[in-house]
Amino acid sequence: MSNAILVVGGGFSGLTAAIEAAELGHDVYIVEKSPWLGGRVAQLNKYFPKLCPPSCGLEIQFQRIRKNPLIHCLTMAQVVGLSGSKGNYTARIRLEPRRTPSHNVDFTFMASALDGERDSEFDLGLGKRKALYKAMPFAYPARYVLDTETLSKADMARLAGNAQLDFNEKAREIDVQVGSIVIATGWKPYDVTRLSNLGAGSVKNCISNMQLERLASPFGPTQGKIVRPTDGTTPHRVAFVQCAGSRDQNHLNYCSYICCMATLKHCLYFAEQHPDTQITVFYIDLRAPGRYVKVLEKVQALPNVHFIKGKVANVVQAKGDTCEIQAEDAIRGEKLTLTYDMVVLATGMQPTLATEKLPLPVPLDADGFIAGGEEAGIFAAGCCVMPLDVTRSAQSGTAAALKAVQTVKGR
Amino acid sequence: MAQCTLKPDIDFTRKLAEAGGDSLKKCYQCATCAVACPMAPANAPYPRKEMVWASWGLADKLKSDVDIWLCHNCGNCSDLCPRGANPADVMAAARNTVYQDLTEPKKVGELMSKPSGLPILFGIPALLWLIVWWIRAGYNNGNWFPTRADGSIVFGDIFYGDYTIDPIFMLTFFGALFIIGKGAYKLWQSFKPEGKLTMIGEKGCWLCHLWNVLVEEVIFATHFDDCHAGPKTGKATPGRRVGHTVLVWAFAMLAFVTAVVALGHWGGKVIPAIEITTPLNPLNLIKVIANVGALMLVVGLAMLTLRRLTENKETHKSSYYDWYLLGIIWAVALTGIFSQIFRLAEAAGPAFLVYYLHLVFVWMLFAYLPWSKLGHLVYRTVALLYVRMYGRKG
Repeated sequence: MSNAILVVGGGFSGLTAAIEAAELGHDVYIVEKSPWLGGRVAQLNKYFPKLCPPSCGLEIQFQRIRKNPLIHCLTMAQVVGLSGSKGNYTARIRLEPRRTPSHNVDFTFMASALDGERDSEFDLGLGKRKALYKAMPFAYPARYVLDTETLSKADMARLAGNAQLDFNEKAREIDVQVGSIVIATGWKPYDVTRLSNLGAGSVKNCISNMQLERLASPFGPTQGKIVRPTDGTTPHRVAFVQCAGSRDQNHLNYCSYICCMATLKHCLYFAEQHPDTQITVFYIDLRAPGRYVKVLEKVQALPNVHFIKGKVANVVQAKGDTCEIQAEDAIRGEKLTLTYDMVVLATGMQPTLATEKLPLPVPLDADGFIAGGEEAGIFAAGCCVMPLDVTRSAQSGTAAALKAVQTVKGR
Repeated sequence: MAQCTLKPDIDFTRKLAEAGGDSLKKCYQCATCAVACPMAPANAPYPRKEMVWASWGLADKLKSDVDIWLCHNCGNCSDLCPRGANPADVMAAARNTVYQDLTEPKKVGELMSKPSGLPILFGIPALLWLIVWWIRAGYNNGNWFPTRADGSIVFGDIFYGDYTIDPIFMLTFFGALFIIGKGAYKLWQSFKPEGKLTMIGEKGCWLCHLWNVLVEEVIFATHFDDCHAGPKTGKATPGRRVGHTVLVWAFAMLAFVTAVVALGHWGGKVIPAIEITTPLNPLNLIKVIANVGALMLVVGLAMLTLRRLTENKETHKSSYYDWYLLGIIWAVALTGIFSQIFRLAEAAGPAFLVYYLHLVFVWMLFAYLPWSKLGHLVYRTVALLYVRMYGRKG
């Protein structure tokens, strides 16, 4: 029997579960697919409930991890196999090569000298990254990644013989013994290319809400300036398209819970940066759960934010890289055809497991959310169970940690 | 503040559900459908408002709504509907309730609304033509399947035109025409808003509008192409224009042939020079047109039937009204073609039997027209004429 706990996913709920379990004296392995912890929260500019930057809440979590020797962070890692049973699992974990030292080396200067580039995954395609990169200044672990595929020939010559970089590092697999597992694989923004009537991702200056977060983030592709991706100009007319893929049986057959709040938050971003920008929010119902209604009231009081009841069902490119949208104002019974400098699709949350398979014995519901598995000592936390905000993700992480702790023996 | 009392009618909502709109309660009024429809106008677009009327059972609003006739049932709205409420089916169901209730006697509308009415609807002409057959067989010495001395078959020997087919069909045809005309008038009156409607600008002559409607709708069916102008649905929409046009043209050719033969027959009694006697020689131009028309009928039917069979049943359901109309035209076309084949093959038994069925089905097609989906030929034309006279494009 092992009293260690495996946490799959290093986002906010996974980190919370890992820290809570470790602080109760359990060995914890965090397996994170990407090179850094923090998940979706790290990509945000600000997050609810207090609209603080992600560095704020995540920094506390990172401190707790740093100080706790029981937590083992495995980044660029994925669970590839599982054997054994409740209380006595052996998980096989595959680690992709990072090719940089295991301690913190600052490659900022070296990275800036490289010229090979590719679209940044972290910036959701809005910016470029080099072959040697780190997603954000406060990234944890604060280690760079060397992606040899992005290196140009000149880059190769420049980096050859560097003692800090290991070009020959290979992927490897390790086994860990754990008694219980917490799954916190989280969510991903719904794939806009599937929204054929909303431009399918091909309409310029029609971006997703997560992309807007990157534009607004001081560490994003525009250093926090909210501008049109095509020409860097300030958008004077902006439309938000709610339920872009959510509450739709052809896409996500459920309400993603947080997109209305995300849009209201984005209205506040605009009010702060471009108070003159005219904003129209097209919605089916505005959902501001619980005390979030205060935010709704605050945004409704803004002079340049307008709300129209009616779902946008058509987005096409118009002159000057503007976006033409169509919606029916369902209260006035009028079909509107309007042009905006920028359109933001409030895309929903799709559970990561809806499209990616995990070699763990957990049942999924029709939408890809985890529905069960607790009898096997496997507990789910965060948005892989249902769409949640950060607060409730953290709560579900603590809940899962407590269940996992009770599953494994001893202290 | 003005008060407005809504009287929800749950029975009407149930009726709509039975007439093919069983998904209507799933609607949550997101208004995607009004955008999905490229034909819906900017002002008071459809079908979202119809969906809420349907949900509330507002029968008067829905039945007097001109927009249900402007819908050409392309199904874009159903493809994009996030809830599977299938507005296109509900619009079709609303039209079906009009077929059912608009004209007297309403008993026929009721029988036409479900398969259980079929035996009676079939039984009436079956009995009628059987009596004719029985009486006429008496004139042939009790021979129900007479053949001429040279072995050839003449249907007129039993179903003699002057006394049987022509008077019965003329009565049926003009009766149906009268009933549907009354229905069209009633519909037109119901389209008019309460109070006085002031129209600013040119109204245009109604005859010009009617001509345009007939050319665009009936002759070329261009509206089916307009259906494709909506937002991208990401789903394949099979074209209906070709199938529908072929069918309409086939009907036009067969109607033309019938008119020429009738004129030749009855006119021939006054001016012998234009007399036509049936059966015609297979190489006679009129007969050739008739046979080409019959083949086109089958081709058009096959295309439309195939489309309905291969449609995604989740988003596009075909109602009993759809299948009745397709079925009756199939029956008319096949019995027509086979009675000619059996006649030429000189197989008296099958020939008379199939011809008898042909008469039964043709009678059903015409007599029940005001209560069948074929009524859209008149009702949709009336609706299009109405909106165009009031300056709307439709």
